[in-house]
Amino acid sequence: MHKRGLLFYVKIYLKIIKQDIKSKMTYRADFIISNFGMIIQQAAGFITFWLIFQNFPSVAGWKYEEMLFFYGFSLIALTPMQCFFDNNWFLQQKVYSGDFIKYCLRPINIFFYFISEIFDLKGLGLLTAGIAILAYSWVQLEIAFSFLILLILIVNLFAASLFLIGIMNIAAAVCFWTVTGEIAMVFAQQFQGYARYPIAIFNRVLRFLFTFIIPIAFVSYYPSLVFLRPDNIPLLTWLSPLIGVLFFMLSYFIWMKGAKNYNGTGS
Amino acid sequence: MKKIITLKNVSKEYKTLNRREGLRGSFLDLFSRNYKIINAVNDISFEIKPGEKVGLLGPNGAGKSTAIKMMSGVLKPTGGEIFVNGVIPYENRTKNAENIGVVFGQRTQLWWALPLIESFKLLKDIYMIKNADYDNMMELYKSIIDLGPLLNKPVRQMSLGQRTLSDILASFLHNPKVVFLDEPTIGLDVSVKSKIRELILELNKNKNTTIILTTHDISDIDALCERAIIIDKGNKLYDNSLENLKKFFGSYRTLKVLFKKNEEWVDYLVNEDEQSVMQKLNEIAAQKKIVDIKIEEISTEDVIKKIYDGGIND
Repeated sequence: MHKRGLLFYVKIYLKIIKQDIKSKMTYRADFIISNFGMIIQQAAGFITFWLIFQNFPSVAGWKYEEMLFFYGFSLIALTPMQCFFDNNWFLQQKVYSGDFIKYCLRPINIFFYFISEIFDLKGLGLLTAGIAILAYSWVQLEIAFSFLILLILIVNLFAASLFLIGIMNIAAAVCFWTVTGEIAMVFAQQFQGYARYPIAIFNRVLRFLFTFIIPIAFVSYYPSLVFLRPDNIPLLTWLSPLIGVLFFMLSYFIWMKGAKNYNGTGS
Repeated sequence: MKKIITLKNVSKEYKTLNRREGLRGSFLDLFSRNYKIINAVNDISFEIKPGEKVGLLGPNGAGKSTAIKMMSGVLKPTGGEIFVNGVIPYENRTKNAENIGVVFGQRTQLWWALPLIESFKLLKDIYMIKNADYDNMMELYKSIIDLGPLLNKPVRQMSLGQRTLSDILASFLHNPKVVFLDEPTIGLDVSVKSKIRELILELNKNKNTTIILTTHDISDIDALCERAIIIDKGNKLYDNSLENLKKFFGSYRTLKVLFKKNEEWVDYLVNEDEQSVMQKLNEIAAQKKIVDIKIEEISTEDVIKKIYDGGIND
């Protein structure tokens, strides 16, 4: 039997992405329209955000620029999920129709094979918008800049995206048991919107929910405290990279358990 | 003699909910634990030798696909044992996947947006096929069929026939020991069917690949296989050479008669040893006006009915 290590998967993945981008370019109209749609969607989100802060200079002690920081941070953290894990949105349809079986027939990891199928370029728009917003608020807030802080930023962004991916993996995997409906995915996406606000502004029930049940507080609130409240950093902030890795692994195991549970609907 | 596939008393049960009727019933079902157990495959055993061409024949829902899914490692049997090339498929899915190729008719496994040649190149990497082996296989393909119109065409633009051909080519690419073909000719017209059968036969001859084919169309088995296993409602009814089967059914034809336009065809099973199709036709025509006729081979359902009636011993 052949051994298939990390290098093998990286090589295959790059090839698939290359082919996928090539083929996407052939659907030019779709490519242009969907990118345009993404820009409009993000702009609408931002304008709402901006309008709110025209009326309230601060929310629960958080300034407009600080809120922008959370916003930009969460957009960047969203990018890997949008770019690399978008196929989760199509899982339910493939399980329902029985087409999912094709992922079980190759001598490679099922999760990898499934996820590798789509690379969504639209995510790069999120990244651009996120970096612009984050950089603007960074300058406005006069946060000191050093190599160390950049490193912490990258590690925290990485952990934050692992939380987002993990949430969506689990939400997608629900369909392995229920077969119908993508309600869990829609539900999870709704909650993503809350990730851009500091959880301190919510009541106790929601705070508990967003920290321990659907951990969106780790997407921007906890990791951003390093930069916004450097004098008072809670333990959960330091632990968030570790918890992020563990949470992602948990979501992977749930997804794979679901795939094993799958028994090929239809003939 | 060495065996490539062994099934020992294999069973597969599914649990399904007993559904009630109506909206109220659907609501009650939400809380119901009233399961019904379905035996998709029921205590089936057989052995297959390397290079053999075996047809699994049975009507829809007979358990053929379930059997294929168990042999390809997707499903775990609820009872019994399976070995494919010495590997237990459901316990070692990836290792088993290297030795087998699987084709599901009407359900492509190729990358939808990519030209076929790019799918082949990805498969070459995934299965770690050596350059020389890959080139040899491509040479063989080119000697059997005209690859020209296929290679640079994205799979999504292909006709069903082209896609099935492509899927079969892809399944043989890594030179597997066994290829499972699940209803490969379903929905195809006669000329494409025969092209696909030709391709399968050539590949089997050249590479000595074991072929397991499921179908509900007896003419597939007739054209491709030397051995037939008949399954109905999860049970094995018959397992013997095709010749033995044909001794009993070779002389049977299904005569389909249309009496009125837009009405349903009426089937007559004719045993040509007793009465020729022409005689039967005259007999019918004497009583009723005929609009159109078709002559087909005996249907799988009729074969199964005959077996139940005790018309044949295995």
